[in-house]
Amino acid sequence: MSKETQMRAAINQKLIEMGERERLKELLRAKLIECGWRDQLKALCKEVIKEKGLENVTVEDLVAGVTPKGRALVPDSVKKELLQRIRAFLAQQST
Amino acid sequence: SHPPIADLENTISKNSDVVSVMSPAGCSHVNGFKVDNWKQNLRLIYQCFVWSGSVETRKRKAKSCICHLCGAHLNRLHSCLHCVFFGCFSKKHIHEHAKNKRHNLAIDLLYGGIYCFVCQDYIYDKDMEQIAKEEQRKAWKLQGSHNISSCSSLFLPLSMFPVSSLPGLRGLINLGNTCFMNCIVQALTHTPLLRDFFLSDRHKCEMQSNSCLVCEMSQLFQEFYSGHRSPHIPFRLLHLVWTHARHLAGYEQQDAHEFLIAALDVLHRHCKDDNGKKANNPNHCSCIIDQIFTGGLQSDVTCQVCHGVSTTIDPFWDISLDLPGSSTPFWPLSPGSDGSVVNGDSHPSGATTLTDCLRRFTRPEHLGSSAKIKCSGCHSYQESTKQLTMKRLPIVACFHLKRFEHSAKLRRKITTYVSFPLELDMTPFMASSKESRMNGQYQQPVDSLNNENKYSLFAVVNHQGTLESGHYTTFIRQHKDQWFKCDDAIITKASIKDVLDSEGYLLFYHKQFLEYE
Repeated sequence: MSKETQMRAAINQKLIEMGERERLKELLRAKLIECGWRDQLKALCKEVIKEKGLENVTVEDLVAGVTPKGRALVPDSVKKELLQRIRAFLAQQST
Repeated sequence: SHPPIADLENTISKNSDVVSVMSPAGCSHVNGFKVDNWKQNLRLIYQCFVWSGSVETRKRKAKSCICHLCGAHLNRLHSCLHCVFFGCFSKKHIHEHAKNKRHNLAIDLLYGGIYCFVCQDYIYDKDMEQIAKEEQRKAWKLQGSHNISSCSSLFLPLSMFPVSSLPGLRGLINLGNTCFMNCIVQALTHTPLLRDFFLSDRHKCEMQSNSCLVCEMSQLFQEFYSGHRSPHIPFRLLHLVWTHARHLAGYEQQDAHEFLIAALDVLHRHCKDDNGKKANNPNHCSCIIDQIFTGGLQSDVTCQVCHGVSTTIDPFWDISLDLPGSSTPFWPLSPGSDGSVVNGDSHPSGATTLTDCLRRFTRPEHLGSSAKIKCSGCHSYQESTKQLTMKRLPIVACFHLKRFEHSAKLRRKITTYVSFPLELDMTPFMASSKESRMNGQYQQPVDSLNNENKYSLFAVVNHQGTLESGHYTTFIRQHKDQWFKCDDAIITKASIKDVLDSEGYLLFYHKQFLEYE
């Protein structure tokens, strides 16, 4: 594993252990609803369902059809804020 | 006019959007799994690897939840249900395992969904769903209270949203003089933090009966943001309000402000404190209602003889302001005194402003010789002054302009125009500001870096008509600059001028910047 991957794994472990990961998830969820991202994703999902047909569509179809655009639609401000929170948390842990 | 019951049922069947509840779709391939002690095993998997509530399980989850093939913790990790194997979903590592070992079921460690490799899709078995729900609840309880998320900007520009979808706008059918309820519902469903709370399904109900008002509000929010355009019929909400707030029952017109306070009170009582403590202690409740609406009002009583100050702080959900023209004295205040500089009141023709009312509310008041207070310093009854200031500001501040006078002599409505701003700075009315003024410090500069006390208007409830027969409507704000008028079932676009020119009865302001706790 590369050094970066190792670091990622270590940070992830710390986040889970301290329960911070769950808190970040909640924060992210609220922010994505607030800024309308979830509504946009809903619309994208509806398109995939229309295309594939309600009876045939699988979760995988939705994931594949929606993920790239969905990731791109996350506002920079939300990403920035989450990053700030993670940095602050890590800084706290090292003191 | 009140519709008779038969008509009501007709209306419901014509207008209601019937949401069919789909029963969970399971598959037959789980039968091989559902043997012996499978329930307990499944619960263990949820507790240890999906929703870890305790410190030990979290530690174990952190260490062991990595793909057995490539070591990654990302990539939609799944756990095999038949043996101890973790594998990436995105990289198909778990698929390999399923094929080699003929283990057909796996569980998504992020969201707890059960995947069947034979059906090649997620399946929803009734028994397994039940277990998942219970385990999520348990972990939730263990996690403790969740803090409000921080947001730097609550109102984003409309350009972000496609015009075709504007969720959250929905009319409300009047069930017979129920506009007093409808107008408050519109204000509440457009309170951003409250909306976030309910749309993220944060309410976990502990009540046994079906009469939980918080659950009903949750349903209501779902209805409002469902995308349905037809007006909603809030008959269940009305019934619950009648059950829990008897003084508001009946088909007569009621006071919207009274309804607001009653509704907040019932919601607060029905919300359990997240730490499992009793929710009814006004000083220690952390329910969503208290988190959003409760502020602290400081009352300082100063003895005129020894100048000793006796201070109390009381919680409040709203601020009721007297208006000029009421039978209580409303002295004109000298220009330039606290408040007017900060909030830039420049209303021509000297019309009363909201900040005028707030200045009056927070000015020191002589209690008079007939109302002497016992002073603990002087050990005797002395004349004193009393002053109210804000100790702690709520996230949502509701101002109630006291337009309805019910004195012994007369019952009337005060229609004096009061101008209110789109943005409000509460700094001059804070207890801390009063202290620095008393210490001789200069008033805070207008563009101070302190953003904590800045508020934005987001809803205005208006009353048209007289005390005997009147009608309530609400202006609500969506996104940064879009306003809509909600008149029972009819929603129309409104201009900012419409809003600011309106008489104003209940004014709802939201903090612009929140601190993360």
